[in-house]
Amino acid sequence: MAKEIEFKNFKKSFGQKAVHEDISFSVEKGECLGLLGGSGAGKSVILKSLIGLMKPDSGSIFLEGQDITLLNEDEMVEIRKQVAYVFQNGALFDSMTVFDNLAYPLREHTTLTESEIEKRVHDLLNEFNLATDDLLYPGELSGGMQKRVGMARSIILGPEVVLYDEPTAGLDPFNIRRIQEMILAMKAKGVTSIFVTHDMPSAFACCDRIALLRKGRIVHVESVEKLKQNDTGMINDFVNGMTA
Amino acid sequence: MTLTYRFISLIGGSSLLFKETVRQIFRGKYEWNATFYQIYAVGVASFPVVMVTTMSIGMVMALQFGIGLAKFGGSLYIPKIVSLSVIKEFGPVFASIMVAARVGSGMTSEIGSMVVTEQVNAIQALGTSPIKKIVVPRVVGLFIALPVLCVAANILGVLGGFIVGVHDLGLDPMFYYQKIFETLKVSDYLSGFGKTFFFALMISVFACYYGLNVKVGTKEVGYATTKSVVTSCIAIMIGDYFLTKLFWLFEVWI
Repeated sequence: MAKEIEFKNFKKSFGQKAVHEDISFSVEKGECLGLLGGSGAGKSVILKSLIGLMKPDSGSIFLEGQDITLLNEDEMVEIRKQVAYVFQNGALFDSMTVFDNLAYPLREHTTLTESEIEKRVHDLLNEFNLATDDLLYPGELSGGMQKRVGMARSIILGPEVVLYDEPTAGLDPFNIRRIQEMILAMKAKGVTSIFVTHDMPSAFACCDRIALLRKGRIVHVESVEKLKQNDTGMINDFVNGMTA
Repeated sequence: MTLTYRFISLIGGSSLLFKETVRQIFRGKYEWNATFYQIYAVGVASFPVVMVTTMSIGMVMALQFGIGLAKFGGSLYIPKIVSLSVIKEFGPVFASIMVAARVGSGMTSEIGSMVVTEQVNAIQALGTSPIKKIVVPRVVGLFIALPVLCVAANILGVLGGFIVGVHDLGLDPMFYYQKIFETLKVSDYLSGFGKTFFFALMISVFACYYGLNVKVGTKEVGYATTKSVVTSCIAIMIGDYFLTKLFWLFEVWI
């Protein structure tokens, strides 16, 4: 299968602290890669670098064969229309209602009329079980609802790649299950994704492969099928809390 | 981090932000609604505080000059001194300082909070420019609203002096009125009014710069807000000297 995303010798430091020393991995088209690692390992840095919110110190990031580290801010806009980022806490615009949050990308990047936007937003709100919450402000929503609205806003343009930054963190089992279902639905549409999480049941449910990030490197990549069969090795040690 | 380094960072960073802001004004669909909201938030909502401040300044000046000049028989100069001082200096400067304190601080804390809650990242991640969405409406809004506030501040400052001159110092109302218009020239008015465009840019660009440069937690939002207000006030004071000189040279040249 073709590689949709590829990191090559990616390095990133913050001041004196080297977060990523040499990251190399790839994600195939339509695949969901789980990214595990201890807190502060730099998992979000990888995702943010993929949409140009952060620049690497060196190395390359390829998206469908194009090195996005060479693109300027204007060129990155086109990339960001194809790559959706689901923020850990939703990152909803608190001055806008749920409806306006979802309508935002459509108003910015499409020529749809207001009635078409309204239909598209309400259809998506129905899919996410948020049909009656369109006029609420983010401050009036629960954590789980904010994450679902954030996810809906991210995917409303129909992206080819979705980056999930701990979408199930801090949620109850019911909401975790809903998020899992949404991730699986995106996967069924052929969307490529990277799923940063500490939630192993969700990673096992949604991912094809799982990569372990430790000390600034990807130290192990394994398919979920093999991980389920074999309960030894680095990733299972991490999952079982034996190593950080 | 040394003071020199921070100063150079501030000048360099805010200059780049200003350049990008001007570039974004002319790119794509303009944010009219956000700009009108900012004009309201800055202009209409700041009107009471600017009104009280400049009117008080006019009243206090008339009183102080009235008491001081009475000893030398110079009470008749009060209308000239007060109106000229208010129109050329105190109206524009005090209106700008009050706006820097009230609006500049609000802008920095709002933008800083948006950074902390990743809303600024979200704007960028959704393929739009945070400068266009956040900075442009604020800079343009203040650029329009502050000069309008200055007009009101000038009128109220002169009115404050008039009330005290007539009521407390016993000057004839008609005399006071005539002296204001005899003294003030259009160039006097324009030199004070013209400064507010520069002050508006200073306040809004510094406020947005400090807001966007918040890196972590809400504690830093507080620091950024303080720095924004202090920097804007100092810039207004220092800038006032150079702008006064510039407008004076301009008047001489004309």
